[in-house]
Amino acid sequence: MDIVLQQLLNAVALGGTYALLALGLAIVFSVMGLINFAHGELMTATGYGIFFGIAAGFPFILSLGMGVGLAVVLALSMERVAFRPIRRASPTIMLLTSFAVSTILHTLMQNLISARPKPIPIPDMLAGAVTIGAHQIGTIQVLSIVIAAVSLIGLTLFFRATLLGIGMRAAAEDFDVARLMGLNANRVIAVAFAISGVLAGIAGILWLFQRGSVDPLMGFVPVLKAFIAVVLGGMGSLVGAVAGGFILGVVEVLLRAFLPDALISYRDAISLSIVIAILYFYPDGIIPRRENIR
Amino acid sequence: MFRKSLNLGVATLGLAMMLGGPAHAEETFKLGFLGGLTGYLAPYDQPSLDGLTFGVDEINKAGGLQGKYKIELVSRDMRSETAESAVIAQELAGAGVNFLVVPCDVDPAVAAGQISAAAGIPTMSSCASTPTLPGIVGEYMFSNYTADNLQAAALGDYAMKQGYKNAFVMLSKDTPYTQKLPEYFVEVFKKKGGSIAGIIEYKMGQQDFAAEVTKIKGLSPAPDVIMTSAYEPDFPAFIKALRAAGITTPVLGSDGIDSPTTLALGDVAEGVVFTNAGFATEGSALAKFFADYKAAKGKEPETLYVATGYDIVKVLDAAVGASQGKLDGKSLRDAVDGLENVAVATGTMTYKGMNRVPLRTVALNKVTGGARALVELVTPAAADVPAAQ
Amino acid sequence: MLEVHDLRVSYGPIQAVRGVSFSVAKGEIVALLGANGAGKSSILKAFMGIAPRSAGRISFAGEAVERADTASIVRRGLTLVPEGRRVFSQLSVLENLKIGAAANRQLRGRTLENCERMYALFPKLAERRDQLAGSLSGGEQQMLAIARALMSEPRMLLLDEPSLGLAPNVVDQIFDFLKALQKQDIALLIVEQNAETALDIAARGLVLAQGRIGKEGASAALRADEELQRLYLGAG
Ligand SMILES: Nc1ncnc2c1ncn2[C@@H]1O[C@H](COP(=O)(O)OP(=O)(O)OP(=O)(O)O)[C@@H](O)[C@H]1O
Ligand SMILES: [Mg+2]
Repeated sequence: MDIVLQQLLNAVALGGTYALLALGLAIVFSVMGLINFAHGELMTATGYGIFFGIAAGFPFILSLGMGVGLAVVLALSMERVAFRPIRRASPTIMLLTSFAVSTILHTLMQNLISARPKPIPIPDMLAGAVTIGAHQIGTIQVLSIVIAAVSLIGLTLFFRATLLGIGMRAAAEDFDVARLMGLNANRVIAVAFAISGVLAGIAGILWLFQRGSVDPLMGFVPVLKAFIAVVLGGMGSLVGAVAGGFILGVVEVLLRAFLPDALISYRDAISLSIVIAILYFYPDGIIPRRENIR
Repeated sequence: MFRKSLNLGVATLGLAMMLGGPAHAEETFKLGFLGGLTGYLAPYDQPSLDGLTFGVDEINKAGGLQGKYKIELVSRDMRSETAESAVIAQELAGAGVNFLVVPCDVDPAVAAGQISAAAGIPTMSSCASTPTLPGIVGEYMFSNYTADNLQAAALGDYAMKQGYKNAFVMLSKDTPYTQKLPEYFVEVFKKKGGSIAGIIEYKMGQQDFAAEVTKIKGLSPAPDVIMTSAYEPDFPAFIKALRAAGITTPVLGSDGIDSPTTLALGDVAEGVVFTNAGFATEGSALAKFFADYKAAKGKEPETLYVATGYDIVKVLDAAVGASQGKLDGKSLRDAVDGLENVAVATGTMTYKGMNRVPLRTVALNKVTGGARALVELVTPAAADVPAAQ
Repeated sequence: MLEVHDLRVSYGPIQAVRGVSFSVAKGEIVALLGANGAGKSSILKAFMGIAPRSAGRISFAGEAVERADTASIVRRGLTLVPEGRRVFSQLSVLENLKIGAAANRQLRGRTLENCERMYALFPKLAERRDQLAGSLSGGEQQMLAIARALMSEPRMLLLDEPSLGLAPNVVDQIFDFLKALQKQDIALLIVEQNAETALDIAARGLVLAQGRIGKEGASAALRADEELQRLYLGAG
């Protein structure tokens, strides 16, 4: 089997998950200038939604839907309760608030549900591998690629073909002028949070398929990765976030695959150095949010 | 600067203990617990405290340690922050605890231990498994949980008995547990004549193991067995990717994967063998503990850390017996250090001659049809256990 | 059409507008002049509900709007073409126009029809309807910004420095067009530093200095006023 091709598929699969997460982070950032570090908790909420769905005896697919639904509800509640009152505050205050939201949710989940991981049994049919010609690729990875692609295409359609979607893009680019044109700020921001919830939910499902359990702290690492992807792509740029996610995924997997053993413990340092090097040449990210010519 | 204030602190503590200590030490045994009840340690320290509390309640109902010394348990959340660990250790030492249980992780355990042990309070980590921990802190520091080198000895021995000759190892340098346990295994396995097909490194939380698995798949000859101490979420992700790639090589793991998640993994985890702190065979102390716990709380404990937390009370009971009721730091410390074959919930524990890292029963489990099946209960020979390093 | 009474705007301790009163009649063109920082933009933003309105009364078409939200102000027929054009550069020309009509549900049925009207008014936009707005020239962007505002079918248009950064012949084109809007009975309040050009099409002018109206009068009178120059150069 062609190992390079296989590793490339691996890279795309991981990159797709990062892209979904980064896009969710970027949408919220673009409309209100908030890096929502509680984004990871939306993934966690998805996990618990699925867990309780399965525990209550719902079919697997329905439980997945409940997971995503819970993420959306949580995203909307976060916006309403925590972020709306500070919408006009400084970026630092917003950032700190999102940290606080994240910590409060951790603690609540640790104390009200369990600090220990809760298992999410994944149907065996998802555990196997698919053979494509001479290549074998894990079902979950195929799913990751397909689901990420479908989500991104669906979202692109939403952004291109619906008035709400066009309004979101307008608001992402220039929130003040979008409001000036009479777009409802509350609605735009709520929709942004809802979309970020859906994306975190989908990414959460892909994540959970791989890890098989949900625990209160599970969102921490992915949200950091998504943040790196967002910076890499250009803060607030939606296309950039997707590109950043894919690049990060590809860089990580390729380093893990092809770095010599002696260097492998430095691979995070190396991948971050690559990110920094890219940012050196593209200080505003790869596809920066374009400002108007004034 | 820091040193000086520390000494001053210790001196004040000493004074406080002289003044306040003996008066109530007659009838109560003040047990301090500090752990991460929130934050990253919560999955370990919460159940440890749960078991400890259960044990304290049980023994207090029976009149206290040795039927005489009621335990007064004082517990504090250090929020999984190492600095906080030291601060609370200071506070609990000031409150005159006779014995202090500290967090499950090495760094905060050392931070706390350096304060309490220096104040002459016997200190024990709830479930840190790094065997060098007591040595780092000093004479008053003890481990409770099955040490990494002990599990490695049991796993190495088992691998040999299975006839595996060539082992592949996956480790992560992120924590001593994920790094040293496999390294101890390599030491044991080689010493017994096995060879190592390769060692691969992963990053904790990396989630995606496709790249590593693709590498393993490329190995020729294929290894007889794969050993790792990876745990959630890494282990499930790893074993799924491994089996999805069609690799059927047996996998050995350690107590980190002793969790409902592993059992819920289905086919991919079938046949995985792992070590942990005990197995509830019929009529065993552990089975009794589970039953008692369930009777009191309505559900079985979520993890064995509850049982190992409970074990600490058994150790204290034996120690107070050995010290003939002397509750001062020195007497207690010496008593614990000399304990042999104490019957605890998870089996037996011996501190004598072990440099304060207990020799414990190790259970080898095999994942069978979504449940644990006992392979065997072993207590590795002290000579087979690799030196702590 | 628009009546303002004692409008004040402050940004924290900074008082940008300190008690301004005036009115604009239906279909009238009024120029609002003043040096940098005089508070012109702040007044326009206050009308749209996007500046902190500390005090004063604003009524539009006979209704008090000082507490209304931006969307409802747009729906009532008052729209702003912001300073610096601010078209959505990553949206196509057509999408920009659609956003201009987004505030009012009742207009949605007419959106495409209205787009065609804009293309007729600005043939250059018609050619570039699927192009990204960011790729248009400055003049074309200004046209797009005006067309976008017209998509909401306003009864009065607020323009903040429409000539900013444009070549003289383009400025003429734009002002010709603005003048033509009068035929449709759309009132205009034009903020300009380029006083000459604005007074050319305006019937009246207001001169703002340090947040207050310093002078006001018919265009011809203002143009003849020598003090006007001094006001501009002096206390900004
Ligand atoms: N968002 C803001 N925060 C603080 N101060 C502001 C803000 N916007 C405007 N100001 C201040 O208010 C005063 C008036 O500003 P405004 O933009 O209304 O002036 P202007 O007449 O439009 O100037 P220009 O001709 O330069 O556009 C200035 O002193 C400006 O610095
Ligand atoms: Mg201005």
